[in-house]
Amino acid sequence: MSAVAAPAGRSGWHPDFWTLVAVGAWAILIVLLLVPLGLVLVSSFRDESGQLTFANWQRLFTSARYFNALVNTLIVGFGGLAGALLLGSVMAFCMARIRIAGGRFVSMMAILALVSPPFIGAYSWIVLFGSGGIVRQTLMGWGIFMPPIYGVWGILIVFAFKFYPYVYLLTSGALVNINRSLEEAAENLGLTPFQRVIKISFPLVLPALSAGGLLALIHAIADFGTPRLLGRGFNVLATEAYTAYSAEIGSNLGMATTLSLVLILMSMVFVFIQRYMSRRNVYHSNLINRPDKIQLRGFANVAAHAAVYFIALGGAMPAIIAAIYSVRKTNGPVFQPGFGLESYSRIIATLGDVVRNSLVFSGVSVLLIVVVGTLIGCLVARRNSAQSSLLDATLMVPYVMPGIVIGVAFIAAFNTPPLVMTGTAAIIILSVFIRRLPYAVRSSAAALRQVGPSMEEAAVSLGYSPVHAFIKVTIPLILPGIVAGAMLSFVTAINELSSSLVLYVGGTITMPVKIYIAINDGDYGTAASLSTILLVLSGSAIYLAFRLLGRDERALL
Amino acid sequence: MAYLNVEGAIKRYGATTALNGVSFTVAKGEFFTLLGPSGCGKTTLLRSIAGFSQLSAGNVELDGTDLLTVPPHRRDIGMVFQDYAIFPHLTVAENVAFGLKARKVAASEIRDRVAEALATVRLSALSERLPAALSGGQQQRIGIARAMVVKPRLLLMDEPLSNLDAKLRLDLRDEIRDIQRTIGIAAIYVTHDQEEALAISDRICVMDGGSIEQIGTPQQIYGQPATRFVASFVGTMNLLSPAAFGLPDMLGVAQWALRPERLRLAEGGAGEHGASDFTGLVEHFTYLGREAHLTVQAQGHRLVAQIAAPPADLAIETGREIRLGFDRADLHAFDAAGRRVRMERAA
Repeated sequence: MSAVAAPAGRSGWHPDFWTLVAVGAWAILIVLLLVPLGLVLVSSFRDESGQLTFANWQRLFTSARYFNALVNTLIVGFGGLAGALLLGSVMAFCMARIRIAGGRFVSMMAILALVSPPFIGAYSWIVLFGSGGIVRQTLMGWGIFMPPIYGVWGILIVFAFKFYPYVYLLTSGALVNINRSLEEAAENLGLTPFQRVIKISFPLVLPALSAGGLLALIHAIADFGTPRLLGRGFNVLATEAYTAYSAEIGSNLGMATTLSLVLILMSMVFVFIQRYMSRRNVYHSNLINRPDKIQLRGFANVAAHAAVYFIALGGAMPAIIAAIYSVRKTNGPVFQPGFGLESYSRIIATLGDVVRNSLVFSGVSVLLIVVVGTLIGCLVARRNSAQSSLLDATLMVPYVMPGIVIGVAFIAAFNTPPLVMTGTAAIIILSVFIRRLPYAVRSSAAALRQVGPSMEEAAVSLGYSPVHAFIKVTIPLILPGIVAGAMLSFVTAINELSSSLVLYVGGTITMPVKIYIAINDGDYGTAASLSTILLVLSGSAIYLAFRLLGRDERALL
Repeated sequence: MAYLNVEGAIKRYGATTALNGVSFTVAKGEFFTLLGPSGCGKTTLLRSIAGFSQLSAGNVELDGTDLLTVPPHRRDIGMVFQDYAIFPHLTVAENVAFGLKARKVAASEIRDRVAEALATVRLSALSERLPAALSGGQQQRIGIARAMVVKPRLLLMDEPLSNLDAKLRLDLRDEIRDIQRTIGIAAIYVTHDQEEALAISDRICVMDGGSIEQIGTPQQIYGQPATRFVASFVGTMNLLSPAAFGLPDMLGVAQWALRPERLRLAEGGAGEHGASDFTGLVEHFTYLGREAHLTVQAQGHRLVAQIAAPPADLAIETGREIRLGFDRADLHAFDAAGRRVRMERAA
């Protein structure tokens, strides 16, 4: 039906091109996704000598260690979900419906929380609330006892503040878009304000709320850095998979892959549950009447502001602490009183290649993501065939795959011939590429669906060939979306930790990996300054994306 | 004489048939309208002529040459879209110049022709604006200018007015007709609005279920509908059963039909020659100023009557009895298959 498809039978060129794209897309998915995952599956049924065994799966349920990790993962997953839902929905409601002074500052804080480099969050919490943490020590000095933040509660607190932006950004978007007339109609029909919220507003934001919650849940069960630093014996599947893989003595790839599979399955199940829950709840309204923000007075106003700023500052705190600590005077790894730029000069002197690695790897993967993602996006958006739907569905897999799993899968696939890539830059670039590809496909397909086929048809009717029409009309229209998507991919690429941690070797070390190592070595100055550099890079990319897209924080998710 | 010749056009989507062997011709300079309910195949037909969808079988010739072997961008057929399809990243002038650039027209000529086209659709003042700031009516004017400025061999319009509000629709309708006449281009216009079709067309092709019901001038379509479908789709028709209202039970006539404006108030006055009077019960009375509408229950029929220029004091209460009359010469007759039975025999 579309102009792209119409002349296909005649010119003979066009179908070949898109068929090529389809073949290429499948080749990429098979080599970088299906084969590694297949090998993960196979490897989980093998012992060290390569014999078929169910021992790994047996151990998962019989060994107290792995069973605990399984339970712990569920605890931090749902605990993190509950915390994110609580903070996120309070924040969303206040920001969408109440006049909050400095609203722009608050949503900037939320974005800061979202793009904070992994690890640095947990580290900053330790700086303030750990055994020797500043806040804890101060309180103890005043005679107030405060337990250190380590253990399951610490992880949950960090998760709540780290993942609330997912819930907040999606839900506030939905709340702002509820047609005010609906709530007025409910009021007019005699519902009390409370009933109105339960019966009208809540069902209308449920899809957004559950989508935000799902993101929080998936990220919480996949998170590796936080439980690693704060857990102190509280292990989850992601950390156990890494331990099983990286243990110097008795490295156990079979166990690592088994744990990885459990993680994928868990994420998949949660995705399906969320889809099932919100299957009926897709509402479109041609919005006429946006809800008004109300001005609260007195105590209620103070309470609302306190809640919003508490959440916003709590979420952004790690980034702020990192920025402050990055300019503290240091002597080697030890902080000295006063401020200085020693950490930055040390980075320039000795860690230039780490920064360069990060920039090159993310740059190359973003380039790949944009080109391949746009082509596949066009294919998915313009060709309604069973094959392209299957492609779209397959791309859901990397969407829910924890980074640690990609890392382990790539090791399983590319450590032996025919394709040996371990230890190369390529393996890190490709791992980032495959993880982020679904986002690019989705965003370019969405941009393309917005354009609509009649634009191209108009150009064709005016004398442009289909290819020419695509270049002259469609590309300029979707370009801002593509570039913005690229910027957001860059943010995730440069902050990628868990897969790189499995895949790096000395020469391919990246900034997040270096931060992890520096924190483990107690070199906090280096960690803080590297984190600050990451933050600045991410912030610039996001600023650019917002300039291009118009300001829509939800694009970050 | 035929400029565009469509012959035996068939389009199938899997098991469904969108076009079921459609043939018609359009003369040079003619304004030809495809009229029908949604899903009747009119848009499919238009898109096949444009080349955006391919016929399963059939021929389309334009000015003596086969059109179907030509790729859409070489057909030189202008198209105006229902959703305007104005390029949002180009200014108004750039939109209009778009097709001229594809034809490698010299820059100075482009400037002149764009200026002229924008003057024709009365948008000269907005030529440097981006379309996003313009109203739907203005956007569609750009669409018309953009399609006309390349002087295509044929102009296709796919429900160009259906997204506009009523007042604008009337204005732009007349403008489209004027521009088309001035340029003298053959145009095919798709609409589901029968009043629009009557107002704008030289000839109308009424379609239903992928087939042509009737092709004719607006007068023929309204005055002598060829089928019962045309009779009730174009305007309103009162359908009367064969033996009602003292009508002769004629062989071959399965149904009589009468336009609402052919029913008149017959109070007191005696029936003229060939006229039938009857009594009915008033269900609704709507006074609209220049006319009044009556819904009357009579002899098991629900009839609609339209009274032109009603007296200012005309008020008819619901539930009262009323006497109406009509001329038998105004009746249409249809056979069991819904085809028209010639009136000479019927009257």
